[in-house]
Amino acid sequence: MFFDLVRRNSKRNRRENGLFFSSLLAAIVAFYIILSLPNQAVMGFLKEMESGAVDRLLSLIPAFYAVTLFMLFFLIYFASRYQLERRSHELGMYLMMGMRRSKLFFMLLAEDLWSSLVSIFVGIPVAVLFSEVISLVTARVVGIGILGQQSTFSLSAVLWTMAGFLLIKLAAFLLLSGKFASTEIGTLLSATPEGAKKQRPAMLYRIALVIGALLLVTAYILAISGEAWYSLAAMGMTLSMGIAGTLLLFFGLRTVLDTLAKRQTGKSGLGVFTFRQLQENVIGQPISLAVSSLLILGALCCFGYGVSMTLYYGSDDTHTLDYTFQDAENPLVIPEKLKNLGLDDCFESLFDMRIGHILSEDDNEGEMLGMNEVLALIEQEPDSSVKSDLLGEYNNLNNPYIISLSGYNQLLAAAGEPPIMLNNNQAAIYGYAAFTNREKAELINRVLSQKPEVVVNGERLQLSGTLQTRNPVTDRSITLYFALIVPDETFDRLADKSYTHYWNAILSHQFVQENSGLMQAIQQVNQKLDTTGIHYESYLQSMGRQLFYQVSSSYLTLYLAVIFLIIANTVIGIQFLTQQRKTGRRYQTLVRLGSHYEALCLSAKHQIQWLFALPAVVAAVGSLFGVRALFSGFLSPDMAENIPGLYRIAFVILFLLCMVEYGYMLAVTRASSKYILTQMEANREE
Amino acid sequence: MKQAILEIESLRKYYGRHENQTKALDGISFKVLPGEFLGIMGASGSGKSTLLNCIATVTRPTDGHILMGGVEVGALKGSKLADYRGKEIGYLFQNFELLDNLTGQENILLPIGIHGVTEKEGNKRLRELAEYFEITDVMNKFPSQMSGGQKQRVATARALILSPQIILADEPTGALDSKNARMLMEKLAGLNRMQQSTILMVTHDSNAASFCSRILFIQDGVIFHELRRKVPNETQQLFYERILAVIAQLGGGSANVL
Repeated sequence: MFFDLVRRNSKRNRRENGLFFSSLLAAIVAFYIILSLPNQAVMGFLKEMESGAVDRLLSLIPAFYAVTLFMLFFLIYFASRYQLERRSHELGMYLMMGMRRSKLFFMLLAEDLWSSLVSIFVGIPVAVLFSEVISLVTARVVGIGILGQQSTFSLSAVLWTMAGFLLIKLAAFLLLSGKFASTEIGTLLSATPEGAKKQRPAMLYRIALVIGALLLVTAYILAISGEAWYSLAAMGMTLSMGIAGTLLLFFGLRTVLDTLAKRQTGKSGLGVFTFRQLQENVIGQPISLAVSSLLILGALCCFGYGVSMTLYYGSDDTHTLDYTFQDAENPLVIPEKLKNLGLDDCFESLFDMRIGHILSEDDNEGEMLGMNEVLALIEQEPDSSVKSDLLGEYNNLNNPYIISLSGYNQLLAAAGEPPIMLNNNQAAIYGYAAFTNREKAELINRVLSQKPEVVVNGERLQLSGTLQTRNPVTDRSITLYFALIVPDETFDRLADKSYTHYWNAILSHQFVQENSGLMQAIQQVNQKLDTTGIHYESYLQSMGRQLFYQVSSSYLTLYLAVIFLIIANTVIGIQFLTQQRKTGRRYQTLVRLGSHYEALCLSAKHQIQWLFALPAVVAAVGSLFGVRALFSGFLSPDMAENIPGLYRIAFVILFLLCMVEYGYMLAVTRASSKYILTQMEANREE
Repeated sequence: MKQAILEIESLRKYYGRHENQTKALDGISFKVLPGEFLGIMGASGSGKSTLLNCIATVTRPTDGHILMGGVEVGALKGSKLADYRGKEIGYLFQNFELLDNLTGQENILLPIGIHGVTEKEGNKRLRELAEYFEITDVMNKFPSQMSGGQKQRVATARALILSPQIILADEPTGALDSKNARMLMEKLAGLNRMQQSTILMVTHDSNAASFCSRILFIQDGVIFHELRRKVPNETQQLFYERILAVIAQLGGGSANVL
């Protein structure tokens, strides 16, 4: 009998509060997905080549798990409180009928437990399926072999998901029942347990509104100007101003709604009722609305930043070389060795890139390169941060690398670019792409156009052409920040005889296609190469690193964004539906005064739109500054240059999020209309 | 003879089935004439609230007819039904049913918004009603800041704002103290006297009933007795005593009435 009641009550709770139940399911899916991250195919793949970084990322998972637990606790506490409040009359009746508080406690606990078990029962399979799909899709997108795909199912993830979920459910329940135990039966039985909140003078709210807006604006300015990033204290200050500003804004918002309601007086429709209901909601829960707004802001920033960064890392198209081989003892035998392995067919081209230091005759490295003319030309440029950076950089060049022109021209040819034409007294400049933004490149090219001369080991060379930024080797074989590209003859004359031969290779188009993509083609060749002693670097490493940034930034930011969004929207939705149920009698009165069903639904719809829009709009405005602030805080110079592009992406994301908000609004509106329909047929009064 | 505003013909309302059937109304017929102040009295469960609910279209009768101005109320649907509820009848609840998050003025003007009457007309009527019911100083207050009497007078003003054909009052003094009850009844009676407003009031309260011009007594779903105040000779006090006498007969004493 007791368990029958428990089962029925818990079923009713799930049905009446579908929004909350779906959020619980989402919570379980979120827990499982973050916990099963190490089992994802792409993570396993990355671990092979970027194990250090992947380990660091995976070691963050417990922290993410804890943060998620905390956030979801907030949601569950809120939602359970609403649910208990809604049932307070019923619970009061149980007590009146002589049920002992301890028994009632166990009944509620059992209901809660039953609900949790149902959620887990439904949620875990969904989560496993979801995680599997994510793994397959990412594997497909990045082109990892699916043949070796293993299941992402992780028993420990399932157990931790259940443990975490039950823990926060139980904690919320204990906290709430503590509050409930001290409530008198009379209070439980009364229809509106909260009663009207005491109002303070209207002036106070107006001041709060103004101060809130001012604090927010100040926080935005600090964040966007970059000042917030100077120190931890400045950042803390900016964040607290933002949070305090949002809280005060929502605290003071009631005066705006009051004015809006007064404007509607006497007008056609239920405008007054709409705004008064809304005002009551805002007065009743300013903090939860403010927190929701901050969560949406967090979600928007995570989404905007995460996706922009992902696409940014994904958009690197400067890749030309697939392999660089090295053999310190006998470099010239590399082509032979590859042929013996039967790999020569795989490559479209194989060429030697000679890179070395300038030959030093008197061990006086400091005078190896004279850049005075170049420095003088840079000095003539208008003042800018790029100019001073460049002066510092070029002043400290002592013994730069030199690259042989023939090898570099082959690289350019492979990339489909025109070759560099130099005579024996000329040289070109190479600069590392990641450290060269457009402004810097333009400055160098202006200087180069005046054909200055440099002195290399006593020999004068005229600089010619434009700045070259194409990496002469694959990935990290060697990283050159600055080098001179010189004709082969000059190279032979100037280079230290211990220079290095880097054999660059590019896989043939046909071979790549036969192996269904570059990733697998490289893996295939690597397997063969690993059986020999040839030292090689492949594009896979570089691709792996890019992929790692892409995956880690997208996974974590999108994960957080989804959690934030779910919590914020569920809290707002539940808050509205609970208030609507609490004030159901008002809807009945309106029906008796002759209100149509459509008019009531429209009023509710407007309330919902406003209630969702208020935090969302505050957050959206904030996010425009927030994402910008994240960019100014985190981006390296060459990324910062692409801010307009990143912004466009962020805007698309904002639009998508608006759609999510709209979806939630629709769901709540539907629930509300359904409820209003039940109020249309007034019950017989006893 | 004047054309009746409201005609009730053989109204029946049964709850439940077979042996569990309760006959809340079992063939009631009467008419309400324009300008009449009709009271309906009866013991708890006698069917008087059911009768009012049927007229207000809150409950659908099992059988019989309700004609308002010659129109069958049961046949109204959709917007016509909503208009009937808001414009043709003004409903006065025992527990006021003011929306507690709206000010007095907003509450009174609510039907205007619902039924799309022009703002100018509404404001004129609002001023008249506020003055008549002495509630001008609570216009900008919320119900929680008003006394019970003020609340019921605001609710009455709301019921009257669209000048309905008939006011249906369900125990309007039920939640009021005697002083406020008397004040409200005087205001309602004044309205009936001066503006010829038609009022149909269900009540337990013999005092309140003594303001009526005619009283129907209901017992077990049928009309059991009718009293008419003899105007102009009969004083309110004498009428009151006659009401008490009927109540004493009704079911054998007041124990069954209250």
